[in-house]
Amino acid sequence: MKKKITYVIRYIVAVSSLIIFLFPIYWIFITAFKPEPEWFSMPPIFWPSKFTLSNFLGTGSSTFGTTTTSIAGILPFLRNSIVIATITSLVSTFIAAFAAYSISRTKIGGTKLAGWFISMRLLPPIASAIPLYVIFSKIKLLNTWLALILPYLVPATALSIWLLISFFNEIPQEIEEAAYIDGASRVKSFIYVVLPLSAPGLAAAAILAFIQSWGEFLLALILTNNASAQTLPVYLGRYITGWRVAWGPLSAAGLVTMLPVIIFALIFQRYLIRGLTLGAVK
Amino acid sequence: MIYTSFTNLDLSKTGTGKFIGVGNYIEIFQDPLARSSIGFTVMLVLIAVPTEMLLGLGLSYLIRGLSGEKIMRSLLLIPMMVPAAVGGFGWKMLYNFMFGPINYFLSFFGIQPITWFGKANYAQSAILIIDIWQWTPFVFLIMYAALQALPRDIIDAGKVDGANGWKLFLHIELPLLKPILYVTLLLRVIDVLKTFDIIYMTTYGGPGSATSTWSFYAYKVGVSYGWNIGYGSALSVILLIVSILLVNTLMKLLNIGKELGLSKAEG
Repeated sequence: MKKKITYVIRYIVAVSSLIIFLFPIYWIFITAFKPEPEWFSMPPIFWPSKFTLSNFLGTGSSTFGTTTTSIAGILPFLRNSIVIATITSLVSTFIAAFAAYSISRTKIGGTKLAGWFISMRLLPPIASAIPLYVIFSKIKLLNTWLALILPYLVPATALSIWLLISFFNEIPQEIEEAAYIDGASRVKSFIYVVLPLSAPGLAAAAILAFIQSWGEFLLALILTNNASAQTLPVYLGRYITGWRVAWGPLSAAGLVTMLPVIIFALIFQRYLIRGLTLGAVK
Repeated sequence: MIYTSFTNLDLSKTGTGKFIGVGNYIEIFQDPLARSSIGFTVMLVLIAVPTEMLLGLGLSYLIRGLSGEKIMRSLLLIPMMVPAAVGGFGWKMLYNFMFGPINYFLSFFGIQPITWFGKANYAQSAILIIDIWQWTPFVFLIMYAALQALPRDIIDAGKVDGANGWKLFLHIELPLLKPILYVTLLLRVIDVLKTFDIIYMTTYGGPGSATSTWSFYAYKVGVSYGWNIGYGSALSVILLIVSILLVNTLMKLLNIGKELGLSKAEG
């Protein structure tokens, strides 16, 4: 009997903490679908009277500058975010696969090299942002996709290398040796044997790089300043400075910004944990 | 950057960029704004990080063994995946003075509406709450996974010896979790030192400079207001040095050599 009561209490506490943790997300979600009069109301509206798409389409009234935050306004930023995050994730995974393989198999560079890679992921971006700004403004790279892809590649590749080393280490060397006996070269065995076997690791590395470049804020804020290369998070930041913000359309933009990341994260959560803790937890 | 940190380079003025030695570094120690920004960053480390550790560990114990724990774990993952810019924006709506749900809930308890971002104390606690909201799930996730990986036989042996509940936790599970707790702690401290986007999205360092963090202040003097790149660089250099020290400690804890099987190759 006592056991049952503690179980029920635990359940209640667990569910209420879940509600607290998810409430901000829920709020963005419903605000994105609220008709304009319900953005600002007291008491707050917890379930919109009707779900409207006008926040996404920008067809609502223009009192709060709806037109500037409409879908047409978001699209260039969405395009920038997708291009930058996708290229970063693909290129970094490609480079990392080769680097991680050689570290895993030949132990090249030893502990120092591997440790140096991982420290790239941990250092504060503000430290590189200011010098990057000076350099990029001299070589006229500001406001281009490349201005964000290049600095994003550094931590993304470092993290992917780290993640992939732990995956490659788990593939027994004997399998490769069998491939050599069958006449495969080192490169061939890497491409046809090792890579397919570590497919989940490659996917996790790519997704993690994607998520991090997608959400990055500081560098994007400093190195870009218009629709030609700026990403979605910074776009959100630009429209939030006023006292009365157009909550509906901004929530719609916020929803678009966070949805891909959440979906990816839920699908790949098992490998993400390994990546996020630098392999401390398998 | 290290060179610029010794110069008075200021992109808004001409004829700057001369070498001024350690002038910028001395200025940091005399600048009350820099001191308050560093102070608030330290406050985040001292309050938010321990709270996240405790809550995360507590949650992992709470949810373990409940039916539907997998779903709960997945749902708890969401706050930490949300880009900080979006999270900050969502919280800004919640904290709103007139229309925010938080003041609405508080009114049930007879609490007058709070101008969350208007007073230094409130704004600081608001930021603390956001950070705790976003990163408790991170600690939870690690602890949850670590608990699952604990060697069963040791725990069973403890149970046979009559340990249960608190005793089991204090004397068997906690010592086993210790290394991973340290790693999590360091990862959190390193990341909190970089806090930037949340500040930018919600308080913009205000009111005054109550919620300005180290990174945010460096951004403000270096880019957004002053273009005083020399001074901003000096601030970043110090932050960089602190981070490198922490990262090195983390490296030792992670014991990379073992992780990569390097010790075997060397021996």
